[in-house]
Amino acid sequence: SGELYCSLPNPRNVHFESINMKNVLHWSAPEGTGDGVFYKVKYAVYGVGKWIRKPECRNINRTWCDLSSETSDYEEQYYASVKAFLNGTCSEWMETTRFNPLTDTKIDPPMVSVSSTDRSISIILTAPEKWKSSPEEESISLLQVYPGLQYNVSVLNKRTKKRWFFSISNNTLVVPWLEPGTAYCVSAQIHVTTPILDSGFSK
Amino acid sequence: LGGDALLPAPQSISILSTNMKHFLTWSPVIIQGATVRYSVEFQGEYEREHAAGSWIPIPECSLTTATLCNLTQDISGSVPYRLRVRAQLGTASSPWGTAEGFFTRAMTSLTPPLLRVLAHGHHLLVELPDMGPSFQFRVLYWRKGQESRVQQKVLREVSSVLHLGSMEAGAEYCVKAQTHVQAINRSSSFSPTQCVRAQGDTSL
Amino acid sequence: LSTAEIRAGFTAIKAKIQSRDPIRSLSILNHPQSLHKVKSSDRCCITHQLFTFYVDKVFKHCRTEDSFVNRKISSIANSFLSARRKLGQCREQNNCVCGEESTEKFKQILANYEGLNVTSAAMKSLGELDILLDWMEKSR
Repeated sequence: SGELYCSLPNPRNVHFESINMKNVLHWSAPEGTGDGVFYKVKYAVYGVGKWIRKPECRNINRTWCDLSSETSDYEEQYYASVKAFLNGTCSEWMETTRFNPLTDTKIDPPMVSVSSTDRSISIILTAPEKWKSSPEEESISLLQVYPGLQYNVSVLNKRTKKRWFFSISNNTLVVPWLEPGTAYCVSAQIHVTTPILDSGFSK
Repeated sequence: LGGDALLPAPQSISILSTNMKHFLTWSPVIIQGATVRYSVEFQGEYEREHAAGSWIPIPECSLTTATLCNLTQDISGSVPYRLRVRAQLGTASSPWGTAEGFFTRAMTSLTPPLLRVLAHGHHLLVELPDMGPSFQFRVLYWRKGQESRVQQKVLREVSSVLHLGSMEAGAEYCVKAQTHVQAINRSSSFSPTQCVRAQGDTSL
Repeated sequence: LSTAEIRAGFTAIKAKIQSRDPIRSLSILNHPQSLHKVKSSDRCCITHQLFTFYVDKVFKHCRTEDSFVNRKISSIANSFLSARRKLGQCREQNNCVCGEESTEKFKQILANYEGLNVTSAAMKSLGELDILLDWMEKSR
């Protein structure tokens, strides 16, 4: 494959960045190399012997590669590896640590929809969906992936600046007896107790 | 000081455990003009029964001059532990002094939570301290005079002002809380009851 | 059965433990047949068997030169003992029947384990604790 003596410095910090199980491999270019570096990517399922090449990330010059399709089974764990090429020389393969999509992903905040009457607000929360490869694919809510998922809801009275917290397991909340003509800001966070995963608060 | 025999083992070794924070304490070994240091080790049931009775040192409490050691991170499950400490002076070490009997987390004493009850208009709220991931709070609240219709909420992570429920105009509501530790399946006694009044006139 | 404490202890040493397991092509718990394929009726029994497996075969061969890791392993091991005792109560009340499938699955796990030298097998098994915890928590 034209790989000569591998004296090129290695790609650095090879790791997965995952949000809602959209699992993207990232790395930094080898030290001291400018433009013109190309990369190959392969991945392996932990417990299965074979490395599998990722054709769409062959001879690429960007420093990321989306492996979401290849790592979508969250009952498995994975490794990925990157090799750099420049002017006929190459680097070693540089591997990630073992990647567990279930515990190593980050979760987006829930979607918050608020409706109000003159004295109450009704809040409906929707957990984000697991990444899917195409819109036609069946949607899986992270609620199904993490059975212990809960919501922390914050309600801020903009006039008094007082903030209240609600901790709920179901996805609806009605807050009655509010002050008419007063603005209330609602924000929500997802909390999974085990494995410990917290989203940020929604805007 | 030469040889081990002259350095006495620490005495009055005991475990102080409150709200799932566990400490080993002992009396200092006094040697005139010298700084005595101490090292602590622990042994869980696993070490006793499955790891040839081995002991595990606690680096934070190795060669320390303190007479107190925080065991919280090392005591787990609901199995019995043994704790020991010895004195060290230069190359001399005392015999091990071992705390009497066994310690399990279930022996911790649980104190009622510090509870603060607030009324914001028609809303009943509480503030509870963050006592760590082992703790849940069981909060009971009722309208004064309707003691038979007590409502309950179990709260886990507490970060600030938590909403309990809404109150009828002008009515007085009372609240009390206790901690619960699932890992040892025990609860504290209840905090003193606190009552607050909702805004507005009492409805007939 | 609260797995949160075990999970927290394991998460604290996961990177250190898994970095000591260079064999990517073998899994003790999850291959060739995934732990997730075990029938729910067999869950209690295989959980008890796995807790015994870890207590009797795994933890004692995982001692390292790192005292932080050793303390966390001790914490996990003693938590396993507590958990196994609770599961033992289920077995006594006959709620923990071992079906053919879980017996077969456990045999396979032991075969995977015995296929490696004891230290590698123990360190690999310890590094797979999250596979066990994921499975236990998923089907709670």
